[in-house]
Amino acid sequence: MQKIVIGCAALAAGLLASAGAFAQQLAPSPTLDAVKARGAIECGVHLGLPGFSFANDKGEWTGLDVDYCRALAAAVLGDASKVKFTPTSVQQRWPVLQSGQVDLLARNTTITFSRNATLGVNFQGINFYEGQTFIVRTKTNAKSAKDLDGATVCVAAGSTEEKNAADWFAERNLKVTIVNFQKNDDAIAAYDSGRCDAYTAGIGALAGQRIKLKVPDEHVILSDLISNDPQGPVTRWGDERWQLIVRWVLNGMIAAENLGVTSKNVDEMKANSKSAEVRRLLGTEGGFGAMLGLSNDWMYNVIKQVGNYSESYERTVGMGSPLKLKRGANELWTKGGLLFTPPFQ
Amino acid sequence: MTTLLAFINNRAVRDAFWQAVVAISVAGLLVYFVRNASDNMVKAGIASGFDFLGRTSGIDVPFVLTGYVPQSSIAALLWVGVVNTMLVAAVSIVLATILGFFIGLARLSSNWLLSTLAGAYVEFVRNIPLLFFVLFWYSVVIGALPQPRESLSIFSIAFLNNRGLTIPVATDGTALRWAALVAVLSLLLQVALALYAARRRRLTGRSLPIGSIALVTALLIPLAAFGIAAAQTPWEIPALRGFNYRGGFVLVPEFVALLGSLATYTAGFIAEVVRGGIQAVPKGQIEAARALGLSSGQTLRLVTVPLALRVVIPPLTSQYLNVLKNSSFGAAIAYPEIVSLFMGSALNATGQAIEIIAITLAIYLGMGLLVSLFMAWFNARMTLVTR
Repeated sequence: MQKIVIGCAALAAGLLASAGAFAQQLAPSPTLDAVKARGAIECGVHLGLPGFSFANDKGEWTGLDVDYCRALAAAVLGDASKVKFTPTSVQQRWPVLQSGQVDLLARNTTITFSRNATLGVNFQGINFYEGQTFIVRTKTNAKSAKDLDGATVCVAAGSTEEKNAADWFAERNLKVTIVNFQKNDDAIAAYDSGRCDAYTAGIGALAGQRIKLKVPDEHVILSDLISNDPQGPVTRWGDERWQLIVRWVLNGMIAAENLGVTSKNVDEMKANSKSAEVRRLLGTEGGFGAMLGLSNDWMYNVIKQVGNYSESYERTVGMGSPLKLKRGANELWTKGGLLFTPPFQ
Repeated sequence: MTTLLAFINNRAVRDAFWQAVVAISVAGLLVYFVRNASDNMVKAGIASGFDFLGRTSGIDVPFVLTGYVPQSSIAALLWVGVVNTMLVAAVSIVLATILGFFIGLARLSSNWLLSTLAGAYVEFVRNIPLLFFVLFWYSVVIGALPQPRESLSIFSIAFLNNRGLTIPVATDGTALRWAALVAVLSLLLQVALALYAARRRRLTGRSLPIGSIALVTALLIPLAAFGIAAAQTPWEIPALRGFNYRGGFVLVPEFVALLGSLATYTAGFIAEVVRGGIQAVPKGQIEAARALGLSSGQTLRLVTVPLALRVVIPPLTSQYLNVLKNSSFGAAIAYPEIVSLFMGSALNATGQAIEIIAITLAIYLGMGLLVSLFMAWFNARMTLVTR
């Protein structure tokens, strides 16, 4: 009898202890641990694309993708400046991510089936809806992509644009010559020197690259899009908790715009907001940060230091930038765009 | 027991044993790394294996000699890269050898201006990185050539602009194939005549005017055959429509730029090899030739060069291998060779870095060994021809 009682007590104690352990412990996240130990996020970005990731002559990075890396640093480390940027070419980006040299890519990378299925990478939402088009010289009088029959087109080898362009012209029985360069910069330089009649890339990327041409006013970006290229941050397989953090920081920036939380009013909203979702987002309720292994004011830090999606967009590629891109598809779903975020509940 | 000891102490047995140990360890290590890599890749969700070679490539290539289209497989894309690499390397080797040979001779010339210029060229070329050469040639080629609308017309059948040299292609090659056959037969005839002439001179001391005969058999007959065939052949003449000339075959400017840079760069090195070879010929040999009454041209042709060749061939082989490997600089200027097409476009389309890099390595190794083998054969032949 005594033995049974002791056995039951031991079992109960064991259950309690393990339940306690479950309540406090999160799934292990080696990437998050490494980031915290390092004190910085390693972010793989573009070699240099104005509006998305571009380092000025002082080595200061700006851009939509750069802002996202900063937001992630603010959420994870509480300081948006704690990012180490690794510029990667079209070819380098996958090995750099797969081998663990960077914690994530935020690098104008199109989400595609085969990349998702064969590269061991996951795409964590969409921070820019890109569509592919062409830049041509104004004097060629090409008004649409169909006018490019017989043209020579420069493109970055290994990009989605390389295949998109070949497919699109082949489907329409149009004959173009495609010249594949290893780097975006080499391709656009060859276009600028007259080797090609057109250069093809996403419309947002083209707006950024047009600024870098010798005489930007002699070139026009065609308005018709030949593809749909949603782009967003990329992580490698495994470490689900890190993947969640990457996904929900982006969701949080979009949700903040939808909820009207900006870097200017975030302190006031945090103190006084009556909206439960705002309070959950900013960490005064719900303890959402802790569920990911972060501090509860993770999104407060993001919005305070970097801003919501709209602030970041306008500053980097929108009306407050030289690119002057309209929101278009990158507008909230409530305003006719495609940006959508699941609720913070 | 003693037989066993004798067996163990046998030198041949010991050598074989240690060689087997080394071979097995290397193979084991290789197998271990391959298995380790493939296990880790499966865990990380990265596709592996060689199935991707059969998939549709979907990549358009501006310079194709193999009949490849974007709907072909990735293996076909690889073959385009191999052919383009071999083409540019082969033509560069020929040009670099001719150019290097003359620069090397010029450097030894008694003419001060000529030898100084040649020396300056060699020093200039040898102290500049090849990448700079390639980019320089590319910008010159693109910058110097006109836009398609201002193309340079060559007899109104071929057109040169910064999209390349557009030349007509035969829509039916039957007549041209006959002409090629005639030319080959004519050349064979010349070879037979030359052999006969050499034998006759050895036996009787009388020579045939073999040079004048060559003019007919090696030049006039093939030229006439091709001329007649070309007139009989229907041609597709390029015509300016829209952005550029349509029809015909386009020799892309990237090819010319890469060819130019490889040839002029390697020529600098070959010139030094040639100079070294010629200076290695004992002075007494040349003086003996002059004493026999040979002119300076004959001395060069009959004494100096054959003796120098033996010294020149081994270092020349490494220069040829360099050209083959340096052709990968084509990737910097969008010349569609293996590195650009296979390690660039195909690698990114499939993401299978390990397999693709291994295949590329194997191909370079294979091509390099072929060049080495040929040069070793040539070297053996040159050293054997002594009387």
